[in-house]
Amino acid sequence: MVASSELSAPKRSRPIRAIIVLFGGMLALLLAIGLSISFGAADIQLATVWTAVFSFNPDVTAHQIIREIRLPRVLGAAMVGACFAVAGALMQGMTRNPLADSGLLGINAGAAFMLAICFALWPSLPYLYVILFSFLGAGLGAGIVYGVGSMSRGGLTPMRLVLAGAAVSALLGALSEGVALYFRIGQDLAFWYAGGVSGTKWIHLQVMSPWLLAAMIGAVILSRSITLLSLGEEVSIGLGQRTKTIKVVGMVIVLILAGAAVSVVGAVGFVGLVVPHLTRFLVGHDYRWIIPCSIVLGSLLVVLADLGARMINPPYETPIGALIALIGVPFFLYLARKGGKEI
Amino acid sequence: MTAFNVDRVAVGYSNSLIIDELSVSIPKGEITTIIGPNGCGKSTLLKTISRILRAKNGSVILDGHDIHRLGTKEVAKKMAILPQTAEAPGGLTVFELVSYGRFPHQKGFVSLKKEDYTYIHWALDVTGLMAFKDRPIEALSGGQRQRVWIAMALAQDTEILILDEPTTYLDMAHQLDILLLLQKLNREEGRTIVMVLHDLNHASRFSDYLIAMKEGALITEGKPEKVMTCSNLQRVFQIDANLMTCPFSANPICLSYQLCQ
Amino acid sequence: MKLSMTQAQRKVRTKNLWVLTSLVILIVIVFMISMNTGYIKLSPLEVVRTLFGLGTAQQALVLFDFRLPRIVLSILVGMGLAVSGCVLQGVTRNALADPGILGINAGAGLVVMLFISFFPSTTDTPVFMLPILAFTGAGATAAIIYVLSYKRHEGISPIRLLLTGIAVAAGISSATIILTLRLSPENYQFVATWLAGSIWGSNWKFVLSLLPWLIVLLLFVYLKANVLNVLNLGDLTAIGLGASIEKERRILLAAAVGLAGASVSVSGGIGFVGLVGPHLARQLVGARHQVLIPTAALTGALLVLVADTIGRWILQPSEIPAGIVVAIIGAPYFLYLLSRLQD
Repeated sequence: MVASSELSAPKRSRPIRAIIVLFGGMLALLLAIGLSISFGAADIQLATVWTAVFSFNPDVTAHQIIREIRLPRVLGAAMVGACFAVAGALMQGMTRNPLADSGLLGINAGAAFMLAICFALWPSLPYLYVILFSFLGAGLGAGIVYGVGSMSRGGLTPMRLVLAGAAVSALLGALSEGVALYFRIGQDLAFWYAGGVSGTKWIHLQVMSPWLLAAMIGAVILSRSITLLSLGEEVSIGLGQRTKTIKVVGMVIVLILAGAAVSVVGAVGFVGLVVPHLTRFLVGHDYRWIIPCSIVLGSLLVVLADLGARMINPPYETPIGALIALIGVPFFLYLARKGGKEI
Repeated sequence: MTAFNVDRVAVGYSNSLIIDELSVSIPKGEITTIIGPNGCGKSTLLKTISRILRAKNGSVILDGHDIHRLGTKEVAKKMAILPQTAEAPGGLTVFELVSYGRFPHQKGFVSLKKEDYTYIHWALDVTGLMAFKDRPIEALSGGQRQRVWIAMALAQDTEILILDEPTTYLDMAHQLDILLLLQKLNREEGRTIVMVLHDLNHASRFSDYLIAMKEGALITEGKPEKVMTCSNLQRVFQIDANLMTCPFSANPICLSYQLCQ
Repeated sequence: MKLSMTQAQRKVRTKNLWVLTSLVILIVIVFMISMNTGYIKLSPLEVVRTLFGLGTAQQALVLFDFRLPRIVLSILVGMGLAVSGCVLQGVTRNALADPGILGINAGAGLVVMLFISFFPSTTDTPVFMLPILAFTGAGATAAIIYVLSYKRHEGISPIRLLLTGIAVAAGISSATIILTLRLSPENYQFVATWLAGSIWGSNWKFVLSLLPWLIVLLLFVYLKANVLNVLNLGDLTAIGLGASIEKERRILLAAAVGLAGASVSVSGGIGFVGLVGPHLARQLVGARHQVLIPTAALTGALLVLVADTIGRWILQPSEIPAGIVVAIIGAPYFLYLLSRLQD
C-alpha cells in the first residue's frame, strides 16, 4: 500500500532551507519586479523605478508610465502567480493528487466561461462584481470535473480527473468561444484564452487584494491540517481531524484564488502544477512551509514569464499562458510517467 | 508420435530467466496438461510453445521447423491459442467472433467463403452455441463466453489447441463442462490439446500426459499415474496428499492434503 | 448443416444496408440545407437546377465556387478523421483514442502553420504540399507520444497514452502560438481560427490536394478490415490467429496518422470527430470493421457537415468554426465514455 510505505518514510521538514528559500525567493522577486518595471517600450533606469515608487512626481513621464502601466502590471503578475501556486498546492495536498492544478482540472476554464458570459450580458459591470462571477465559474468547472470523476466506475484516480478536466476545459472553452462570437466580444476576450497581464489596472488589484489576503491567511491557517490530509484521509481522521470541513474550506479557498487570478490574466495553466512540486522538492512536505514558499515562487514564476513574454518578440507580447505551458508540459509528462506515486 | 518438441529453451524478461534449459516433447493426439505451483513458469512455457514469447536460447520445433522460422500465419493454421485473459471488444456477436478464427485461412480482403462457413458452423455446433450465434457476447454468461473463445479456436481448424487455464473464473459445473468438451474434441477429432490447469484432480482426470514444473524447471513428466504420486506432489507443491483412484477415469486424484512439515 | 448465411445474418446485413443508406440520405438532406444556408439562399430546386447547369451565373458562382467545395471538404474531413479514430481505437484497444485528443492534429497543425507563415503566397504548389507536411508533423508527434507513453514491461496503458497526448497537444498549441506570433502578428487571427477548427480551405484546390490521400488511405484501411478485427481481440489472441501484430500495427497507425494529418491540413484542429464517429457507428452496426469503417466514415462526414452548417447558420453573417460546434457535442460524449471506462 502506498499510504503505509509513505508513513514509514518520515516526512522531514526543513525549516532552515525553507527560510532560505523564502528570503532568497523574495529577494529574487523584488529584483524581477524591478527589472520588469524598467523593461519596456521606453527603457527606464532602475533608479528611476525607485524614485517613482518612493517619491512619485506626477510631472515626470517615466513616473507616470511606471505608476499607471508598469506597476499594476507587475504587481498583478505577482499576485496572480501566488494565487495559482497556492491553489495548486492546496489541491495537491488535499486530494493527494500530484497532477492537481486549477488549469488541468477545469477550474480556470470554468471561471473564463463565466467571465465570457458576464462580458456578453453585462458589458459594463464593474470589476467588483465581475470577480464574483469568476468565483462562480471556478466552482462550476470544479463541480463538473469532480462530478464526472466520482460517477466513474474506476473512481477518482488522479489521471481520470485530469482527463475529465481536459474534456471539461475543451467544452467550456468551446462554449466561451461560441459566446464570444455570438456577442461579438471576441476582441475583448482574446487575451483571456492566451493569458496576459497587460490589461491589469489598479482597480483590479484593489478589488482582488482583500479576497486574496483572506484566502492566503486561510491557507496558512489550514496548512497544518493539509499536511496531515496529505498523509491520507484515514490517517487524518485517525488523528482527530475533521476532514470534511477542512476539504470544504480548502476547496472554497482554491476557488477564490483561482477565480480571482483568472479574472485578471485568463486561463493560465501549469503554475499551480509546477510551483508546489518545486517547493516540495526544496522545503519538504510540511505545508506550513510549502504554502508561504509557493506564494513567493509562484509570484516569481509569473513575473519572470511576463518579462519573458515581452522580451521574446518586442514590441509584441507573447501570451504568458503559452510560455508557461512550454515549461509546464514537460514537467507534467514527467509526473504522469512516474505514475503519480509521489506527493 | 510427437506434436512438437521443446528443445532446451531458456525464456525470461530483460535480465531474469524464468525458464532455463527446458526440454520436453508434447505427444500428438493426446491431452497434455502442465501443472505446478504459482510462478513456476507454466504460463511462460505455454507462451513460449505458442510463440507469444521468444526463447532466448533453444527452440520450439513444430513439424521439423523452428516455430519462429515459420510464417506466423503458417503456425496459426497448425496451432490455435486461447489466452487466459481473452476479452472481446464490445458490440461483437458470437458468430462474428467465431468467424475471426478463419483469419489465418483468409487472404487479404475477402469475405467468408463457403468453406469458412462450414468450419464456423461446425465450431458453433460442437460447442453447443448454435442457438446463441446472433447474440452479442456481452449478453452471455462466463461459461458461455469461454465456449465462444474455444469455438473461435476451433474455427481456426488446427491440429493443436493450446489453452491457458481455460476453467478459471468458472463454477464447478461449467469447469467440467469445458473439460468434457475438450475431451470430446480430443477423442472424436484427434486434436492435440495442451493446457495449463490449476486443479490437480481435473488435470489428472482429463489428461493423457502430465508435465510437472517447479521454479522454471521440469520435475517430472508422464502418464497421470506416474506423475500423481505422493512423493512427486511433495517435491512440486510441498504438500502431503492423500491419494485415491478416480471412479470416473481410473487416474489418481487427491482426496485431501496438508502442508509438508 | 446450412453452409451460407442464415436468416438472422441476412437480417443483420439488411439492417446494416439500411443504416448506411439512411446515413447517406441524411448527408444529402444536410447537404441541401447547407446549400441553403448563407447570405444568398438557394432552394433545393435551384440547387439541383444549378448542378445541371441551368442556374443563373450568380447561382453557379455561389454554388460551385463557395458552397460546394466547402461542403465537399467537410464531408471528406469528417470521413478522414472518423476513420482515423476508428483505426486508432482498434489498434490501441483504447476506447477514447482520437487524433485530436491524442495531439496528432496539433502536431500536423504546427507544421502547416509554420509553412503558411513562411509562404503566405497564393501560388499553387504550397497547397499540394499541405497534406505531406501535415503528415510529417502528425507522424513526428505520434512517434513522440508513443515513445513518451511507453513503459518497459507495462507497454502502453490507455490512460497514460491519453494523458501524454493531451499534454503534448497543449505544448504544441503553445509552441504554435509563440512561433507564429514571432513570424508575423497578422497571422494571429488566422492561427486562432485554425486552432478552433474552421473549414478554412474552401476552394477546389484544397479538395484536390486532399482527395488522392483520402482515397488511397481509406481504401487501404478498408482492405485491412480483417486485420483490424483480429487486432481488436488483444495481442495474445491476435498472435494466436497468425497476425504479424507489430508490423500490422505500425502500418495501420501510419495510415491513421496520415488520414488525420491530411484532413487537419485543410480543416484546422477539429477534435472529437474521431471519437464520436466510430462510437456512434459501433452502436449502429457493431464492431466488425468491414461494416464499421464505412459507417464511421459516414457518421463522421455527417457530424462535420452538420457542425459546419450549424456554425454558419447560427450567427449569420458571421461564423462559428466547425471545431467549436463539434467540441460542444464531443466533449460531453468523451466525459460519458470516460466515466464508463475501466482501467
